Amino acid sequence: MEWYSAGTLLIGVLVVLMASGFPVAIAFMITNVLGIFVFSNGWSNLIQIVDNSTYLITTFTLAPIPMFILMGSLFFYTGLASRVFDALDKLLGKIPGRLCYLTVIGGSLFSTLTGSTMANTAMLGSLLVPEMRRRGYNGKMSMGPILGTGGLAMIIPPSSLGVLLASIANVDVGMLLVAGLLPGLVLASLYAGMITLQLKLDPEGAPTYDVDPISLKAKLYEVCVNILPMGLVVFMVVGFIVLGWATPSESASFGVLGVVILAVLFRAFTWEAFKTSLMGTVRTAGMVFFILMNSTVFSQLLALSGASEGMLAFATSFSVGPYVILAIMFLVLLMLGMFMDPVSMMLITVPIFYPLAQTLGFDLIWFSLIVLIALEMSQTTPPFGLLLFIMLGMAPRGTTLIQVALAAAPFLLCDLILVLLMVMIPELPLYLPSLMEK
Amino acid sequence: MHLIDRLLDRLSMALAVFACAIVACMFVNIVIDVSMRTMNFTPPAFTLSVVEYALLYFAMCCAPYLVRHRGHVTIEALVSVLPRVLQWWLAKIVYLGCMAVCLLFCYYATELFLEAWASQEPDIRGIDMPYWTLFLPMPICFLLVALEFSLYFIGPKTFYSYDLGEVKDSV
Repeated sequence: MEWYSAGTLLIGVLVVLMASGFPVAIAFMITNVLGIFVFSNGWSNLIQIVDNSTYLITTFTLAPIPMFILMGSLFFYTGLASRVFDALDKLLGKIPGRLCYLTVIGGSLFSTLTGSTMANTAMLGSLLVPEMRRRGYNGKMSMGPILGTGGLAMIIPPSSLGVLLASIANVDVGMLLVAGLLPGLVLASLYAGMITLQLKLDPEGAPTYDVDPISLKAKLYEVCVNILPMGLVVFMVVGFIVLGWATPSESASFGVLGVVILAVLFRAFTWEAFKTSLMGTVRTAGMVFFILMNSTVFSQLLALSGASEGMLAFATSFSVGPYVILAIMFLVLLMLGMFMDPVSMMLITVPIFYPLAQTLGFDLIWFSLIVLIALEMSQTTPPFGLLLFIMLGMAPRGTTLIQVALAAAPFLLCDLILVLLMVMIPELPLYLPSLMEK
Repeated sequence: MHLIDRLLDRLSMALAVFACAIVACMFVNIVIDVSMRTMNFTPPAFTLSVVEYALLYFAMCCAPYLVRHRGHVTIEALVSVLPRVLQWWLAKIVYLGCMAVCLLFCYYATELFLEAWASQEPDIRGIDMPYWTLFLPMPICFLLVALEFSLYFIGPKTFYSYDLGEVKDSV
């Protein structure tokens, strides 16, 4: 069979099954069964699918996924998240659009402590949207920064989706995590700049209101007691990798330990919070792992059928620059995100995009960050971006999806600016990983 | 019927609790291993193998619980705009397809398990584990997943959030 027929068959069956409402993992299982039947020796090799899936899941590099999810869950359920947030709220004082800036600062900090986009958006949304509406913020100013900042968790380390991407694309997990730090901070600054610009254009969008002034001593207390200690978690995850004490696969467990230590010190650690966090991990990581078990076999089938190789040869046969192909890959991700979740998108595109990126001479760490930004943006693009629906669930009655999407649009522009910056200055994401290499 | 439902509920819950214990054990194992290594003690040789096996057991043990609690991610954007009757029929076809493929995997996993049991070959990793331990959870969990889907197929329960007016969570 020609590579294009093979590719269309495999990807087509998968997409049709997913679109029909099959659970993503099961859609992969059925496609794999059909694929092995068509491209291999009938039913006799079917046993190979089951055998291979056990090998592909028993890989130590996947260990950080449940650990990061547990870390984020513990952070929320022990109440440490609210503690940080309250402290930041007190520190900001009376400035125009303070709750918008609070979103960006808090969101960036939460990103380093949770690693989950959904958790980040849900947390910021549930805490801030009601307060912003009460203070007279309009829809654009109340929802936009939350949607933008919620996605920061996708690139600011530790990103659970980043770990997953690195694992399935065979990219160094530690380097990818560290590489996301500078672009993440630049993106947070771009968001802050965008808020300032929006406030200049429409000062009534986020009216100033009086807040109880607090003394410098009280501010210092808040920083020292409620914010700085959270650095322990960041240190135990990123610091341990940089110092070479733990591998990236191991450092996630120390992130959990960091949150447990802090929760115990703050007397916030309860058996109930621990149990709830573990069950949350089972729900999220279990779902991801069941998909992974089957999707990795799908990648093997793409290679076995010749589809990966054919697509690669086809894509590189055009006389267009590598950045045009990069732009096409970016657009494909954005379009897939209109009806797919990030994990499924990743699993379908990685076997095709990564060999292509390697052939085009892109640094895979750099490319992975571009992919993560595309994934983040795709979750905020209408009509089916998941973050839009989460925000819609928290917005006041009568809010439409269009209004939520319009509120997110300026922040999507910031994401695009970051991508352009990363294309023009590849050192932006690659500087910190280069220090690790030394 | 009610009895089977309750029994499956207990079983899936017990497996989910076991999965929680696996996560906790992985966490403790890794922390002890790294701490010992950093303090120049020789870490246990089994950590890597145990964690790798734990990942498989974790994935399999969560699966029935996730089906029962609609935790497996689905793309509902296109199906949700279909007419109700079509949605109902499509859902039944999906449940049937899920059952069939899980039973197929259960059958082949059983075959692999029995082969490995008969040969008693070791799986060579950090420490040698009997090869059959790799396949042990698969037939059980795939069977349970198939049974969970069968409850959706024959009963009034739905796997989809569009029927319940909610947004599903993801990573």
